[in-house]
Amino acid sequence: MKHLHTLGFLLFALGLLIVPLTASNEYELRIFMLFLIYGIIAVGLNVLIGLTGLVSLGQAGLFALGAYTGGITATRFGFDIVMASLAAALVSALFGAILAYPTVRVRGVYLAVITIAFGLIIENVAIEWQSLTGGTTGLSSIPSPNLLGVELSGYAFYAVLAIALFAATLLTHNLKASRYGRAMRASSQSEIAARALGINVTTLRTLAFVIASMSAGIAGAFYSFLNAYISPDIFTFSDSIRFLLMVILGGAGSTFGPVVGAYLLTYLPEYLQQLAAWQTFAYGALLLIVMFALPQGILGTLDSALKRWRPHPRRSEPVDARTVTDTLRPSAQDTSRAELVTRALTVKFGGLTALDEASIRVKPGEIHALIGPNGAGKSTFVNTISGFYRPTSGEFEIAGQQLSGKRSDEISRLGMARTFQNTELFGDMSVLENVIVGCQQHFGYGLAQALVRSPRMRREEREAQRIAIALLDFVGLATHADDEARFLPFGLQRRLEIARALATRPRILLLDEPAAGLTTQEIDELATMIRQIAALGITVLLIEHHVELIMAVADTVTVLDYGQVIASAPPSVVQRDPRVIEAYFGGQGDLQPTAKANP
Amino acid sequence: MSTIMQYILSGLAIGGIYALVALGFHIMWSSAKAVNFAHGDTLTIGALLTIMLLAAGLPLWLACLLAIAAGGVFGTLVERFAVRPFAAHSGSIGWMLATIAIGIMIESLATIETNGYSLPLPSPGVERAVRILGAGVYPQELLIPLVAVLATLGLKLIQRHTLVGRAMQAIAHDKQAASLMGINVNAVVALSFGLASLLGAAAGILIAPVVQASATMGVLLGLKGFAVAIIAGITSAPGVLVVGLLFGVIEKFVEGYISTAAREIVGFSLMILVLLIAPQGLFGKREVVKV
Amino acid sequence: MNIITNKTSQLIYGSSFAVATLLLSSPSLAATDAQQPCIGNSAAITGPAAFSGQAIRTGAEIAIEEINQQGGVLGEELRLIQYDDAGAPPRAVDNTRRIALADNCIAILGGYHSTAAVAQVEPVHAIGIPYIGVWAANTSVVENGRDPNFMFRVSAKDKWVARFLVEEALKVSPTGKIAFFYENTGWGNGALPDVNAAMSEAGVALVAAETFNWNDQDMTPQVMRARDAGAEVVIVWALDREGNQLLRSMDRVGYMPTMIGAWGISGNLGELAGPLANGVRVMQTYSFMGQQSELGESVLARLKADYGIDDPREIRAGSGIANAYDAVHILADAIEIAGSYDWEAVRQALYEVNRDGLIASYRPAFDASDPERQDALLPEHYLLTAWHDGVLIPFAGSPYDTGD
Repeated sequence: MKHLHTLGFLLFALGLLIVPLTASNEYELRIFMLFLIYGIIAVGLNVLIGLTGLVSLGQAGLFALGAYTGGITATRFGFDIVMASLAAALVSALFGAILAYPTVRVRGVYLAVITIAFGLIIENVAIEWQSLTGGTTGLSSIPSPNLLGVELSGYAFYAVLAIALFAATLLTHNLKASRYGRAMRASSQSEIAARALGINVTTLRTLAFVIASMSAGIAGAFYSFLNAYISPDIFTFSDSIRFLLMVILGGAGSTFGPVVGAYLLTYLPEYLQQLAAWQTFAYGALLLIVMFALPQGILGTLDSALKRWRPHPRRSEPVDARTVTDTLRPSAQDTSRAELVTRALTVKFGGLTALDEASIRVKPGEIHALIGPNGAGKSTFVNTISGFYRPTSGEFEIAGQQLSGKRSDEISRLGMARTFQNTELFGDMSVLENVIVGCQQHFGYGLAQALVRSPRMRREEREAQRIAIALLDFVGLATHADDEARFLPFGLQRRLEIARALATRPRILLLDEPAAGLTTQEIDELATMIRQIAALGITVLLIEHHVELIMAVADTVTVLDYGQVIASAPPSVVQRDPRVIEAYFGGQGDLQPTAKANP
Repeated sequence: MSTIMQYILSGLAIGGIYALVALGFHIMWSSAKAVNFAHGDTLTIGALLTIMLLAAGLPLWLACLLAIAAGGVFGTLVERFAVRPFAAHSGSIGWMLATIAIGIMIESLATIETNGYSLPLPSPGVERAVRILGAGVYPQELLIPLVAVLATLGLKLIQRHTLVGRAMQAIAHDKQAASLMGINVNAVVALSFGLASLLGAAAGILIAPVVQASATMGVLLGLKGFAVAIIAGITSAPGVLVVGLLFGVIEKFVEGYISTAAREIVGFSLMILVLLIAPQGLFGKREVVKV
Repeated sequence: MNIITNKTSQLIYGSSFAVATLLLSSPSLAATDAQQPCIGNSAAITGPAAFSGQAIRTGAEIAIEEINQQGGVLGEELRLIQYDDAGAPPRAVDNTRRIALADNCIAILGGYHSTAAVAQVEPVHAIGIPYIGVWAANTSVVENGRDPNFMFRVSAKDKWVARFLVEEALKVSPTGKIAFFYENTGWGNGALPDVNAAMSEAGVALVAAETFNWNDQDMTPQVMRARDAGAEVVIVWALDREGNQLLRSMDRVGYMPTMIGAWGISGNLGELAGPLANGVRVMQTYSFMGQQSELGESVLARLKADYGIDDPREIRAGSGIANAYDAVHILADAIEIAGSYDWEAVRQALYEVNRDGLIASYRPAFDASDPERQDALLPEHYLLTAWHDGVLIPFAGSPYDTGD
């Protein structure tokens, strides 16, 4: 795969060198330059669509912002091509960041409609603000591009564009392979899990929006120089669709997909000309065909075919068993302080009180089980202390540090990791990648280092991979490292979640019904694993129905009923507590593993 | 005074169309958590088909009925072939682009058919303007908000008192549970897309005598209808009606006192603003994120 | 089994599609037959103005056929290459380069949209290929301040149209109570200074200037402002659809001034607005209605024979057809005078052409000494027509011509 990409970049560079030499006239060169400009937009948009999974149908608006900024600064202040495109990048990035803000609250279609509205607003502002933009008449006589006052010839301008597209492709490729790209992909597949691993999803989305906007802005500035004329009707909704289609057609998420898509969709209209009045229809039909026949895009489809044809060889690297201990122990050294305390934690949903003044103390280093009938508030408790629900009142802290009011990713970074009742894996990523996402908060390299693949970035990535493999070995998944997570059998998926949570090097680990759906043998293995984890000095909070497992591993059992703590004691004591028996059976009997809870 | 009255009445007319379109989005979204992005084009279909059928010699009422029915069939087909195949995927990009593609094809066909010209749809409702408090309107324009109100009421009645309506409600609430209860979810979803498009085609026929039928008549109306649905909260039919009418009136005032380009700027900014403050819309129900 | 076939078919679909598109996209776009001399045209073939591309093609084809029947130009058959710009300036710019550099045509005919034409000025001069506008009337397209100027036009010029319409308006309202309604596009906005200039030449000022967008459904606010300003005549720069909305908005508020329009409302306004359109005056360059010259009869005969026209009233874009027809003939004459296909030589020769055309007698067609005379059609060639029961008829002698 790696070699394929190197080969791809070589071929790409070769193509960019050859085309201007073979173009038989200025028109052909110009169309190719147009493709380079569209390519820059598509490559940037790919970060948004392919990595974070967000859809923007307002890219033409950002393109327009860039074009107008470039055109206006060039005509009024005599900016050269670099200054003008920097200005354009800046303005577009600013609006991109603003546009990203809604993603905090809305997704999917809502976001798409916001971006459409944004595009239309820009178009109409360009019409309305005549003194600046020339209104519907547009902005003409934009000077030909110059660099530091030296006018660029056709070929020099071509070189600028070619270098820009090549650089954009390379940089986004590096981004994709870095912790940023990985976290973006993770957050698109399971936002909840990403947050629980300490990833600030909002920041990532903003970053993706800013990258997509900047590239659209730079492309816009180039475009205004290439065209020497811009007007509001250049930047319409249908252009936004075209930019989106470039990414989808080529293959969202792939390195060269958007370039291929931009190429095809730049040349396609030239050929559709032959259809005269029917060309728009043909374009629509093509879009429909792509959605059905090539939902993964050209490169995505080729990639899948390649994988089927030549699957990954099994990994057989030697694993150093000490890695796990070395990795997990240091963070657990201060076990004395890894204590979770909740005080009068109350959560209300409308009129329903799901959690009623629950005060629980999970002692450092212990295995603490939380049980209770269905609807007792266990899930609410877990989701509240991991920051997904806001408590109505009360507070909770870890090792003396206040957590109430903090976001889930902040809580995760303070040392709390969790698994999910319904597994929340990053299904399209490999097993190994899933675990490396867990390492996210321990990377130290920044965005710039990620983009250029600095030595530090490579070193840290290698280290993370080593740790991840060791953790996979710890949960018995080392041989599955390169499998796609969604293809794992259910029992193994649960283990992967534990490995992934451990990769954050937590002080306290929340296991939300880890035994649900497992076979007896798997449960025994799970019990062993939980004990091993606790032995590493990590506090474990176990939410479980499965009484045998609890009796086998728990040091303390807390029982919730109707949102209230009704008992908190060693298992043997709890088992005989009349209030617990009452809660489970409404009177008599003994706590049995087969017990089916009262509603 | 007459100016203000004029803005209100003209605004209610166009607002009624927004409401009808938005009602369609409400129906589709409730049952499928997906919409037809080419919904605006059902207006075009309704209006242009009526004109073509009239030209073929059919009486007006029959032409209208057939065109509305064709609109319904179109909606059902769109659901079956452009929405359902993508329903299994998590993202919305599949059905969004597929329905947009269908919209592009329809507009292109309509352009070829009309050569780009607008066409008149004769109606007794636009023969003579009437005067109300100094403002002038066509009876047709007064009819539109009325139809929007009736459609909303009718929808409520269907939802409350018919089996299909209740099935729609059930699916809106919980698709899986509805399926377990023996409701044919696919059929009901297809039906609701048909119903939405039925309304769309009717809206197209209603507005065509006032604005003329053309290949592109539905594009902006569709987009604004969606904006209205979102502002109102796409889960609330009465909300959609109120916001639709209001949106039309506000537009007229912006247009009257500022300019027409400002109208789009204000309208769409309003939508973004509402979404930021209340993502569920003004009248919508908040959806709780489950972990 | 099912899964396998599904996947295979998807793969087959996918790969065959990919191969097809790749084959389609080899970057050679040159026209297949580069030997034969050609005239290029970039116009709207799709979109709301699709009719205009059709009309230009019709006029140009009829002329080319006549030319080829008489031996072509410089002994070779001429042909037309038409590309769609859908009204979008960037596509018009691309088409300009394609026509000039890939197809190597002798000249370019312009299209319908003024914004597209404005955008073409730059590439046309960068390349140095003669351009003859046959529709878009924006003044600055031709009066662009360039020397040498490669932009010519056989069509109306807004500056002169404005003068022409203001004169007509003043006949109706001698005191100058005139309002101006224009669409918010390059064409409409470009006309505003022209109309203002024409008004101040006549010593009066507009009582109201109102704008509107394409697809606006209701213009009562603007109409009421014009009414309250006391306008007796409105001059409009609009297309049929918006012209109709304007009439209906006037009807709503019971305000019926005389309407005089540039030719955007010469398509099917009569059909759209019905009786409301009766009496609306429209400037045209040519009308196939009414008495025709000998040449007019022959063109009409061709339209009937080859273009499915049964009756002149079916012709909706007569001016566009006539402009394109005359432009192609003028161009062919210039090629013969130049004796070569060389762009600069043809440009020079365009100033030498004298011809009796369909619309006017061009003597000469263009005048190198006068920057305003890159336009072949002069105000005196403009024609005032009026809508009457769904048909545009010459204004002179119509029921609305009261002789004042």
